[in-house]
Amino acid sequence: MTPVPTNDNPFAGDNSGIQQRETAARWALRIGSYIVVIITLAIMLHIFIKGAPVVFRSQWPFVNTQFLTELPATLHVIEDQQGNHIETDVNGADAIKKKLGDNFRAEKTISYSGGGILGPIVGTALLVVVSVGVALFLGVACAIYLSEYAKHGKFLEMVRLAILNLAGVPSVVFGLFGLGAFVLTAPTFVDVPADRSVFSIPLGFTTLSFEGWDTCVLSGGFTLAFVILPVIITASEQCLQAVPQGFRETSMALGATRWQTIRYSVLPFATPGILTSSILGIARAAGETAPIMFTAALAFKDKLPWQKDLPPLPADASIFAHWEQSVARFFGIFTESVQALPYHIYTLAAKIPQNEYAERAQYGSVFVFLVLVASLAASSVMLRKRLRAKYRW
Amino acid sequence: MSADSTAQSTPPPVVQVRDMDFSYGASKALFDINLKVEYHRVTALIGPSGCGKSTLLRCINRMNDRVPSARVTKGEVLVKGKNIHDADVDLTQLRKQVGMVFQKSNPFPKSIYENVAYGLRIHGEKNKSVLDEAVERSLSHAALWEELKDRLHANALALSGGQQQRLCIARAIATVPDVLLMDEPCSALDPISTLKIEELMHQLAKEFTVVIVTHNMQQAVRVSDYTAFLHLGKLVEFAPTEELFTNPREKLTESYLRGTFS
Ligand SMILES: Nc1ncnc2c1ncn2[C@@H]1O[C@H](COP(=O)(O)OP(=O)(O)OP(=O)(O)O)[C@@H](O)[C@H]1O
Ligand SMILES: [Mg+2]
Repeated sequence: MTPVPTNDNPFAGDNSGIQQRETAARWALRIGSYIVVIITLAIMLHIFIKGAPVVFRSQWPFVNTQFLTELPATLHVIEDQQGNHIETDVNGADAIKKKLGDNFRAEKTISYSGGGILGPIVGTALLVVVSVGVALFLGVACAIYLSEYAKHGKFLEMVRLAILNLAGVPSVVFGLFGLGAFVLTAPTFVDVPADRSVFSIPLGFTTLSFEGWDTCVLSGGFTLAFVILPVIITASEQCLQAVPQGFRETSMALGATRWQTIRYSVLPFATPGILTSSILGIARAAGETAPIMFTAALAFKDKLPWQKDLPPLPADASIFAHWEQSVARFFGIFTESVQALPYHIYTLAAKIPQNEYAERAQYGSVFVFLVLVASLAASSVMLRKRLRAKYRW
Repeated sequence: MSADSTAQSTPPPVVQVRDMDFSYGASKALFDINLKVEYHRVTALIGPSGCGKSTLLRCINRMNDRVPSARVTKGEVLVKGKNIHDADVDLTQLRKQVGMVFQKSNPFPKSIYENVAYGLRIHGEKNKSVLDEAVERSLSHAALWEELKDRLHANALALSGGQQQRLCIARAIATVPDVLLMDEPCSALDPISTLKIEELMHQLAKEFTVVIVTHNMQQAVRVSDYTAFLHLGKLVEFAPTEELFTNPREKLTESYLRGTFS
């Protein structure tokens, strides 16, 4: 039968509350997202407002060059009778006090809050370079083995589980591991083994002694490498798996060996992704404090890693001697302990009495730290984009 | 083109499969296969889906080695008279001389030139003029040279599907293999591109020996000299193409060709 047209709405809701629940759910989710965005912005804004004035200047050259190019130092604040505060370093303090004479009222010293943060910047950069280098090498090797060579089965599952577990280990545990493994027992070549050497193997011209590398960039870098290794392995493996199987089949069908196949038709196409994963690694490695606390970082150091005192060369030293010393100086960088940004921030925030001067140094460091990590990430993303454009399928 | 001609007046078959059984782990995929592929002929493998055509094809260049637990359990495969499962067979050399083109055209996301030169580079060829010459020769063979000679350094992914598949053929013949294995090379292509590749097949047979898997009966008739019909892992009938299509000996073949297949 033909339905009789009526003016009733055939699609009217039944008012059972479905619509209200839909609206409520949507708003709950929306508010959750807004809270996340607002908090993120608040953190950024807070650090910008507090940190930017420390780093930037209103007059040329617009940046606080002292903050970026000097080592941390103790800040001396001298107050005169009028209540003016004069900031200076340890050398300037006496001269100013003498000049003020009777006008001098009080002097405050604030540790680590004067000078700049070049030491921590350099230290963090070195740690990141070593750790990302080591982790990329080990991680990519491991990922290639797991994805391209290993037979699927129990063993592979176990290795995967181990890697996953590694990712869940608290970073302070890595710190202790690094202390035991790299600082105290890693093998090194020496002429005479130290007393603390675990054991040593004489090789004739030198001795391989398991006496550790001491607290230095190398120890810290290797420790950090293990912190970021799970991230890099997992991400690299995913990138390798994302390369179409057809590339491998084709390459093998053309008579390529497995390694040639990996080298020429898998790795080039996985590289952009692997680089992206190493960005995450860089940010993580730069930000960790616990793993470097016992292995590489000092609260304070008045020298950059390459400013080591080496015996001065005689005036008639050969060019070879100069060259040798430069090489020694270069490798010496990695056997020095350093300051690092996250540890420096921790020291400023937790180890010294808090006041406006300490706070200024804190926020300046945090701001620089964030800018460095962000620009690193940005440049890696750009690099990846360019590689993507080149290798696309 | 082979040195064997001095030994015998009639060259032996380039590929010879003898009493071969093949298993994927516990499940047997091929039963007692006997097949002879003559030099400079096109041999087609036909049969319903899942009957083992690809498996048989991949036995000839041992691509099945990539599948764990897949193996020949009985019989042997001879290529140019040599048992390819012998311990002294170098897989890279075997695959250099037995090329393969896949169903899905899969050029590397590199330049056209690099795609074609890949096989030669893998085998250690560094001489620029040798590579240039091989790229031109292979592309000409694949009827692509005229179309592409001005943009050899463009990305291969910018080509059309048909061009990509012909590029894959060029890539496979750049190492001058004796045998070219093709697994449904036209199944993803439009009729025009298919036609081009079929035309190519006749040209290729002058220099190479072609074994092609196809689902398309007309294609088998058009391009092949011999046809093998497989069913459920068994080789039911193997005969010159004309004979097999006009006058099949087996009932099974006949019903498959007529399309009255249970
Ligand atoms: N990697 C593998 N592991 C296990 N079994 C497989 C594998 N590859 C194929 N098989 C099985 O072997 C049999 C033959 O497969 P094959 O791919 O050779 O068939 P085909 O004739 O090429 O089919 P199609 O026309 O659909 O391509 C099928 O039953 C299939 O399920
Ligand atoms: Mg198939």
